[in-house]
Amino acid sequence: MNALTPILPAPVGLLAELTHRCPLRCPYCSNPLELDRRSGELDTATWQRVLTEAAALGVLHVHLSGGEPTARNDIVEITQTCAKLGLYSNLITSGVGGALAKLDALYDAGLDHVQLSVQGVDAANAEKIGGLKNAQPQKFAFAERVTQLGLPLTLNSVIHRGNIHEVEGFIDLAVKLGAKRLEVAHTQYYGWAYVNRASLMPDKAQVDQSIRIVEAARERLKGQLVIDLVVPDYYAKYPKACAGGWGRKLINVTPAGKVLPCHAAETIKHLEFWYVTDHSLSDIWSKSPAFTAYRGTDWMKEPCRSCDRREKDWGGCRCQALALAGDAAATDPACSLSPLHAKVRALATEEAAETPPDYVYRTIGSNVDRDVRAPLTEEAPL
Amino acid sequence: MTAPFPLPSAADAQRLLSPEEMEAALRDIGARRYHNLHPFHRLLHDGKLSKDQVRAWALNRYYYQAMIPVKDAAVLARMEDASLRRVWRQRIVDHDGDSPGDGGIERWLKLAEGVGFRRDYVESTQGILSATRFSVDAYVHFVKERSLLEAIASSLTEMFSPTIISERVAGMLKNYDFITKDTLAYFDKRLTQAPRDAEFAIDYVKQHATTPELQRQAMAALTFKCNVLWTQLDALYFSYVAPGMTPPDAWTPGTGLVPDADTPKAAGTGTIGPTDVPRLPRGVRLRHDEVRGQYVLLAPERTFDLDANAVAVLSLVDGIRSVRDIAGMLAEKFAADRSVIEADILVMLNDLATKRVLER
Repeated sequence: MNALTPILPAPVGLLAELTHRCPLRCPYCSNPLELDRRSGELDTATWQRVLTEAAALGVLHVHLSGGEPTARNDIVEITQTCAKLGLYSNLITSGVGGALAKLDALYDAGLDHVQLSVQGVDAANAEKIGGLKNAQPQKFAFAERVTQLGLPLTLNSVIHRGNIHEVEGFIDLAVKLGAKRLEVAHTQYYGWAYVNRASLMPDKAQVDQSIRIVEAARERLKGQLVIDLVVPDYYAKYPKACAGGWGRKLINVTPAGKVLPCHAAETIKHLEFWYVTDHSLSDIWSKSPAFTAYRGTDWMKEPCRSCDRREKDWGGCRCQALALAGDAAATDPACSLSPLHAKVRALATEEAAETPPDYVYRTIGSNVDRDVRAPLTEEAPL
Repeated sequence: MTAPFPLPSAADAQRLLSPEEMEAALRDIGARRYHNLHPFHRLLHDGKLSKDQVRAWALNRYYYQAMIPVKDAAVLARMEDASLRRVWRQRIVDHDGDSPGDGGIERWLKLAEGVGFRRDYVESTQGILSATRFSVDAYVHFVKERSLLEAIASSLTEMFSPTIISERVAGMLKNYDFITKDTLAYFDKRLTQAPRDAEFAIDYVKQHATTPELQRQAMAALTFKCNVLWTQLDALYFSYVAPGMTPPDAWTPGTGLVPDADTPKAAGTGTIGPTDVPRLPRGVRLRHDEVRGQYVLLAPERTFDLDANAVAVLSLVDGIRSVRDIAGMLAEKFAADRSVIEADILVMLNDLATKRVLER
């Protein structure tokens, strides 16, 4: 370990991607382009062991995610295990398909919190984005049952040029549905969102307007609705500390049991990931090559290495550095201190000004080219 | 008639002080006796009062504000020099304004309305404490009965007010969600008016207190004025903080307010008061984190690290006990004043309520 952080931090959150199966096909899905198939998913007993190891390691929050986690037949059992271990269980769901039918059983199993995705406010728009007809009424019925049961509800809205005009509407919807929290999360451009970037990228004026709307609503709804805002990287001054810093707070386990420091880490092809079926979670956290690769600050290059923000944003996102700069150890080009930052911003502006191409919808077994976009270089003009 | 108030230093009373020494002696009175030191103000500025306690302050203090021009008119009436009167009359203009809707009294009424009062109720002064009335009236009588030097010297508390105002504005904006910058507009003006007034008064006092006896009178006058302010806070503390002995005719929470002053915005939200029963809703759990050796509050997408005090409070939050019950139990456990604990924990509980992890 490096000298600045001699003590290995204990992870706070476990992102349990129980399955990649999902009735929705959102074009900004954070899952990888190569989705795991049902046949390769971990079994119930293995997930229960992983949860037990996670609790011992210091994990407090478990995010039951996917895909659509309620597509797993054992979602109730897995939730029960969380409750038994004292782990805080957070169901990250689309609310469609079989979600509503399982909700009461999940409540009885001790589920702590529900995060429901909403793709848009207008039903037609929402269903176009999610790629599933009749999804919106199912989501509203699901939300209604969540609040009836007295479970805390968070609405999650991923914002892009196809729904950025609905930010005010998302806020009203959250109030109407009785949510206590709303996430207004501008798209982060990894995975499917990276492929669809030109269809999704809003322009700077739209982004600024959306931020103003959120700030005004926060004041107006203080004590009633908490609004978390994730601003889009490409227009930011400093990058976000991805997952709270590489290997510092979060463990991500894929449906097949591969353990990642963040959900997009597989795009860094030279990393060696370990599986929960081969190693204990504790060993993976402390010793696996993927977790040690970018933990701390020793791996950093300039300008990160001597930057006084290096332990605030931890160099930004490694996956984005690889995708945009062609080097996973480079400064995240979302950072204004990166030599590539101006190009990233110009690229965002340019794409936002063009007519959006059609979405490439998320599908299992698709043959989307992972290398659809070449990294930027400092010399090459855009 | 001799001043019934202790003088700053017996030795200083025996000789003629230089103007600089005189000013230092006057400032020393403020450093030791000005009401920014009063426990009630500490609670007010640190956000430790409930909304009703802030209301009691705003209501009572209105009487002081309303009588200031009466006091200044009495001083003015005793000035035989037109140049003095021209300066002094500005104080009356500042407070009364040049037209309806203007001036310091109006801005204080805005403050009282900002915390939920009906304007006519405040103006009637029928809910103020007798001690407030007695203190303020004593000030008006003082400037009528004593020498002009003493009357002017008694206004010198303005030398100390910019500090208390900036503390108060910053503290109140930060700590009370029902206080806005508009509500506190009164203090914006006073930040420039008070130093201007004080400068004139201190020059006058230094120039006219020409004997040890006159200097002593000026110091006693300022001491008296500090006590006028202090006594008002004593009365507020006694009636509305601890021991909570409110005189029969004085304001009690719920009266004199506009109809919807305390209507919560939605179920489970709004300000938590002493008689409310707080509870951790489903999805918020207090848990001991063995790995890190501390208690944490687990909430949707968040973890709050808790200190020992927060753990002591939250362990007693069970959806049955009121804030007052919890404060009582903690007061017994730590042998401390219940009202102080109650004020403290209300701040903490309301902060958690704003974050939507505590309800009533």
